[in-house]
Order: sequence, then C-alpha cells, then structure tokens
Amino acid sequence: MSEPKGRGAAATLERANPVRLRRRPTRPQLVKWGITAVLVLFALFALPQLMSLYYVDTMTQVAVYSMVAVALGVLVGRVGLVSLGQVAVLAIGAWSAARLLFATTQPYPLILLEAGLITMVAGVLIGLPALRLRGLYLALITLMLAGGITVVLATVNFPNGGHGFLGYNGSLLHIPPIRRPSIAAGDPAYYRFSVIIAILMFALVLAHIKTKPGRAWAAIRQSEAAALAAGINTTLYKLWAFALASFITGVAGGVLAGAIHYLYSINFPAQDSITLLAVVLMGGVYNLWGAGVAALLYQFLPSLLNNWGVSADWLVILFGVGVLQVLTTAPAGLVDQVPRDLARLRHRLSRRRGKRAPHD
Amino acid sequence: MIEVENLTVRFGGVTSLDAMSLTFEQGTCGLIGPNGAGKTTFFNVLSGFVRPAGGSVRAFGVDLLSMAHFRRARWGLRRTFQTEQAIDELSVFDNVAMVHEHSRHPGSRRGDVLDAIAFAGLDADPEAGVRTLGAGQRRLVEVARAVVGRPRLVLLDEPAAGLPDEETRHLAEVIRRIPEHTGALAILVDHDMSLVSACCATTAVLDFGKLIASGPTAAVLRDDAVIRAYLGVA
Amino acid sequence: MPPWDNFEPFIVSGLALGGVYALSGVGLVVLYRATGVLYLAFGAVGALGALVAWSLITRAGAPGWVGWLACIVVAAAVTFGYGLLFGPALAKRDPLVKAVATIGLTLILYGAMDLLWTTSGGQARSLTLPTDNGGFTVGTVQVTWTQVIALGAGVVLTVVTSAFLRYTKLGTAMRAMANDREITATLGVPVRRVEAAAWLGCGVLAGVAGLLLADLVALDATTLTFLVISSLAAVLVGQLRSIPVTFAAAILVGLLHDLLTPIVALTNYRDMTPFVIAVIALLVMSRHRVIVTSREEA
Repeated sequence: MSEPKGRGAAATLERANPVRLRRRPTRPQLVKWGITAVLVLFALFALPQLMSLYYVDTMTQVAVYSMVAVALGVLVGRVGLVSLGQVAVLAIGAWSAARLLFATTQPYPLILLEAGLITMVAGVLIGLPALRLRGLYLALITLMLAGGITVVLATVNFPNGGHGFLGYNGSLLHIPPIRRPSIAAGDPAYYRFSVIIAILMFALVLAHIKTKPGRAWAAIRQSEAAALAAGINTTLYKLWAFALASFITGVAGGVLAGAIHYLYSINFPAQDSITLLAVVLMGGVYNLWGAGVAALLYQFLPSLLNNWGVSADWLVILFGVGVLQVLTTAPAGLVDQVPRDLARLRHRLSRRRGKRAPHD
Repeated sequence: MIEVENLTVRFGGVTSLDAMSLTFEQGTCGLIGPNGAGKTTFFNVLSGFVRPAGGSVRAFGVDLLSMAHFRRARWGLRRTFQTEQAIDELSVFDNVAMVHEHSRHPGSRRGDVLDAIAFAGLDADPEAGVRTLGAGQRRLVEVARAVVGRPRLVLLDEPAAGLPDEETRHLAEVIRRIPEHTGALAILVDHDMSLVSACCATTAVLDFGKLIASGPTAAVLRDDAVIRAYLGVA
Repeated sequence: MPPWDNFEPFIVSGLALGGVYALSGVGLVVLYRATGVLYLAFGAVGALGALVAWSLITRAGAPGWVGWLACIVVAAAVTFGYGLLFGPALAKRDPLVKAVATIGLTLILYGAMDLLWTTSGGQARSLTLPTDNGGFTVGTVQVTWTQVIALGAGVVLTVVTSAFLRYTKLGTAMRAMANDREITATLGVPVRRVEAAAWLGCGVLAGVAGLLLADLVALDATTLTFLVISSLAAVLVGQLRSIPVTFAAAILVGLLHDLLTPIVALTNYRDMTPFVIAVIALLVMSRHRVIVTSREEA
C-alpha cells in the first residue's frame, strides 16, 4: 500500500488514519464491557438464588422501572426534554398490553412490541404540539397528562377480560390475572424475562446514541439554533426521542402488567411521575447506569423501608432534596454533571496507578 | 450573488432592520456597523430564526425566505455563531460530518470531511474529542463545518472573538480563501477592522438597520459617514 | 343533555373556582416574569398552609382568623425561603431547570405533609370558612360569600397586578427584568429586592389560594398540590406573559371543568379539562413558531 505523499494537512491526516477511522476498542472500554457482562450474568443467574421471593418481585419491578428510567434519561439527558408524566405513559403501555393479552393469544414478546408501538403513537400525539415550542411547555403538558390520567383510568378501568374496546367487565366476580409467558410463569423466571427485556431496551437506546440520532440530539442539546443551522430538522429528532422514550416505556408497561397480574388506577398516581423524574436526575441522566440506580432508588429502597416498617414518605423527602442538590451543583444544564464526575474519577484512578493522566 | 430588498424586521417597538436593501456580489464580503446596527438580526433572518415584517432575499436566484430553516443548510447555507457551537462530546470528525450527513451530497463523506478539516488548517486528530481542543482549534472546527460539502452562502459571525493575534491571522487567511475553495459567497460580520481588511474585498456598513455605505473595503473604512456612525456625532 | 337549570349552580361554582385559578395563575406569571421561575410548588405550599390552619383550628382550638393568617404566613415563608436559598444559585440557568428545581420543593413538602397529616387513617379533613354560610340567591342558584370572594379576588388581583406592572416603579422594574436581568441590574434596579418582593407576593397568593381551594374543593394534600395544574393550563395559554389572557383562560378552565359535572357521559373525564385546553392552545401556538435567538425568548 503506497502512502499518500506530501506534507499537507490532508496527507498527514490520511497517514495517521490510513484505512478505518473507527479505532479498535481501547482497554478502558473493554474493561467496561467486561464489567457490564459480569453484572448482567450475576443479575440473571445469581441474584434470584440469593434473594427471598419478596425481593425477587422487587427486582422485577426494578427491571421494569429501569426501562422507564432509561427512557426518561434519554429525553432529559440526551435531548434536554423534560417529561413530568412518564408514569402516565407507563399506564398507557400497561393498559394496551393488558387489553391485548386478554383479547388475543399472541406470544408475550409480540404483545410487548405491540404495546410499545401503541404507546409510541400515543406519546407522539401528546408530545407533538409541545415539541415545536419551548421545553417548558412539554414539561407542563406532560404534567397535565399525569394529573388527568389517574381519573380517566379510574373511570375506564384496566382490562380484565371483558369485551368491547375497553375490555372491562364491571360485574365480574373473579377477575382473571393478566397472563405471563408460558416459559416464564414463576416469579424467578419472570424476573429473568424482565431483565432480558430490559437489556434489549438498553441496547436499543445505545444503538440510537451511537448513531445519527444520538449525534443530532447532542447538537440539539448544545444549541437548537446551531443544530438548525447545520441542517438538522430539530422537531423531527425531538419527536424521534419522544417516540423512542414512549415505545420503551410502553414495553415496560407490558412487562409490569405481567408482573403484578392486576392493574388499578392507583398504581399510577400523579406524584409517581415527578418522583420518577427526581430519581432519574439523582441517578444521573447521561450515563445509562444511572437508569439502574434510579430504578433501585425508586423500587428497591421503598421495598426495603417497607420491610423495616419505615414510612416511604421519608424517601419522597429525600428525593426532593436530591433534585435540589443535583440541579444546584451541576455546572451546566441537567446533563453535564455525570460525565465531568466520571472524568475526574478516571483522572484520580489513573494517577493512583502511577500512569500519566489523559488530558481531559 | 445575494440580493436583499427592503428587508424590515421589528421586535416589539424596535425596528431592527429598516427597509434595508443591499447586494453581495461575490467572494468574501464584510458586514460591519456599530452595536445594535442589525448585523446579527440580518444573519438571523438569513438563517430563518427571525421572520421579517417585509422584504425579500434572493440568493443565487432562489427565494431564501420561503425555505424552512433547517432546509436552508441543505441548500447550502452555513453559519457560525458568536458563541462556540462545536459539540464537546463528539469527535472533530463527527462534528464536521454531522453537517454533511443532514444534507444529500454526492461523493464520499469521509473525503469531504477530511478535506474540510484540512482546509481549515486543523491539525488535530479527527477522532479527538472536541472537548480536548483549545479555543482556537474549536473555532477552526466550526469553520470546517461551515465549508464541508458544497456550501453556497457562508455566514461568519465574529469568528475570531476572543482569539489571540496569531490564531486570528490564520483564521483570516482561511476565511479569505473560502470562496475560491468552495465557490460559495462568504459574509463576515466582525468588529475587528484588521480582520475585515485582511479577508474582505468588499464591505457593507449598517447603522440603525439601514445601509450607510458599501464598496471596496479600504474606501469604506475611510468613509466619513462610517466613521461618524462608529464614533457618534461630535 | 341535562336541562339548563342543572347547569346553573355549576356556573357559579365554576366561576368561583376559575377565580382562584386566576389568582394562582396571575401570581405564577408575575413570579415567572420577575425571576424566570415557574413555581410548580405553588399548590403544595398552599396545601401545607391549609393543613397548618386546620391543625390550629381543629386541634389547637385557635380562632378561625389565626388559622387563616397562619396559612398565609406559612405559605409565604416557605416560598420566600425557597426563593432566598435557591434563587441566586439557579439564577442564570434555563427556565426549565428552575422549574424542575421547584419539583424538588414539591416533593419535600409532599412527603412531609403525608408524614405529618397522614391520610391512611381514612378520615377526611375539611376546612370551612364562615363565608360559606352567608350568601344570596341569583335566580334559582345559591351563591355563597366564599364563592364571591374567590371570583372577586381573582378579578381584583388581575386588575391590580396589571396596573401595578404598568404604572409603578417596582412593576416596571419587574417587566424590565423579564426581558433581561443583567441589563436591568446595570440600570440600577435593585434586582434582588424586586425578586424578593415577587417571591413574597407569590407566596401570599399561594396561601390565599390554598385556603380557598381547601374550602371549595377538598382539604387533601394530593388534591391541593396537583390543583396547580389547572392554573398552569391558564398560564400556558397566556404564554407565561399575558396577565389578561391568563385570567380569561383560568376562568375558562374553572367553568368548563364544573360545567361538565352534570353531563353524565363526560363527568368522569372532567379532570382532563386542563390537559385538553392546554393541547388546543399548543396546537394554535405552534402554527406561528419562530426561534428567536436573543435572550427575550426564555
């Protein structure tokens, strides 16, 4: 292979990167992948053995809400959009899944896909008018959705095997439970099922972040005007993010339906939506691990406190304080805190090993 | 050629551009004027961020104002902003490639991007994260974004703001060569008269939203009306 | 469709409710214009005040006026305290960030209220004002003085605030600050003091609204905290700017919500009224959207 001749900048660049511009994965990246794989395997196989059924159920909920958290994290952390009604979207997903589960005999994964798509359409319809305007308006409209949906659900009810569009039969004496996949009927098996679905959703998010939409979102977050000036159709990409978030939350709703078997409107109160945003902010909106942290805060801690007889209200107060702390100490916007903290951590770790710290 | 006719912009009670008419022929053109003269507003009209109350802009025969803002970039409008817009979390390559991937361009993206990076004189590794670069190099990334692909109209809004002399000189040289390298017309807004003199063959001057002078740069900078506009009437 | 007579009492109650929403909405808009903060905790502080009033009146046996005054003082104190502590820290941030921060306050208050005034006992609490008892009759409808006060307060506040913003020095300062805080500071306007006044005023209004809503609707932490959503719909329609439009929208939200009560097919959905009105407003607004890159567009 003959090397490009000349001393000009273009030639220099070509020499430095002869064939591919994509580097091979660096050692820190390989380590990160390794740790992730170990944790996933641990969660899938070791965890159910170590915990009582009560906590296995809790961890199923953690898996469900980690999906909702990652969806909200993409919106807030990657695009800068705030949704104060993500639990309402979850309710729509759960409702759709329940309806389909009772009405059809399709396999569970297919139902999850359909529930996700229905929720995606609903989310896009709700978000579209606000997405062309200020971010504050989207926050408000989603808050209003959260406020109104509990009452609508109380009227419409969740499907319970009845007929008609709503699938609700008010006079049923014995309400059938929402079914689970045949291979994952027991609680530990369903837990593994929900973890796998969660991993798939995280992979879907990663696939977006590393490619064209992720780059467009980064541009929009930096400056919407500059993004437009670069030719990015910002409304389209914001809509795409909202559609993705709604899809994932819808799928999570489907998993939730099978997890708890019976759905009621009180499962989706308005305050849950804002508590969810709080834990997502506390867990860190930029890094995908933050979604896992958020779900643990949201489901595992209350479960623990419940076991110890402590009121969950203390957690609500803690989350409120957490929001204020995150927002006042983050240097710019809702996003930057975590990457900067991780960079500082990496800096300190590599210095301890005696290596030269990378210029960050 | 860019033909601006009777462009009027009002914000609330303030008239930012007052039936402004102006023609940019070719090459790199300067646009100067005191603060509040309407230069950035003019750029915002061209970018599509501000809707004018009246008037028209024809760019190379095309009615620019009828296009949606993000479509103008695809047509070939490029712009840099007063505040830095290079995206920290992406690499140099991705920053420049982004402009390319949101338009339809024949030809190799990689080739076009590397060419633009080389033209800007940016000797950093294309895979380097932008957050690792210094201020001058980040400005060059923005210039690379402005020239990648096939731009037709390049708007540069105070590109040298905050840069030391050495880097400003390099930037001036790059800006001066934009038309010959890309075939585009470039408009430079700046307060640094030496930069304007170095890059721009012709210059137009705005004051209070109206055109008060235009022509060869050296002559314009000596024009009485222009000096009065900057210094105020004694 | 029920006969007209059935609607009449709901016109009155709807107007009263709308009056309180207008009171809240105008308070929210003024604070936003002065500080850039959309105070989502408005309902929560009002709820806190109302619950404190209830405790003083029914538990400690205090006279009514002490309770109501305590309600307003508590709401104003918490609001002012928040503005003092977190206003400066978040001053330069995007309005979205500032609004989300008030969610933090909402959660703190919400958790505290549920701890201190738990509802798991099953008993509902109520707060009544003496003006509930008196009133007059219009046609076939009873109108209580409370309802008159609610609507009247909304009207009076809207008029007074519009005049205040236009004709007084403090009001003009607030309008200037909405445009550009830093430039206003360089003009010699005591920015901090103006903001403090806005926070205090908003807090007082939150207390008043909390008291009225506790009487007109329910004394329940969740209900009162999230009733702010109706005011937020009005604020949205007013585009966070126009006091008269916010007032009109608030009255509309209140009226529409209550007028749906006798319509059997829709009555269960009436809590979606703010959402529906907001969506319609957004659809209308998004027809003419242009980005303005100057700092006027928050």
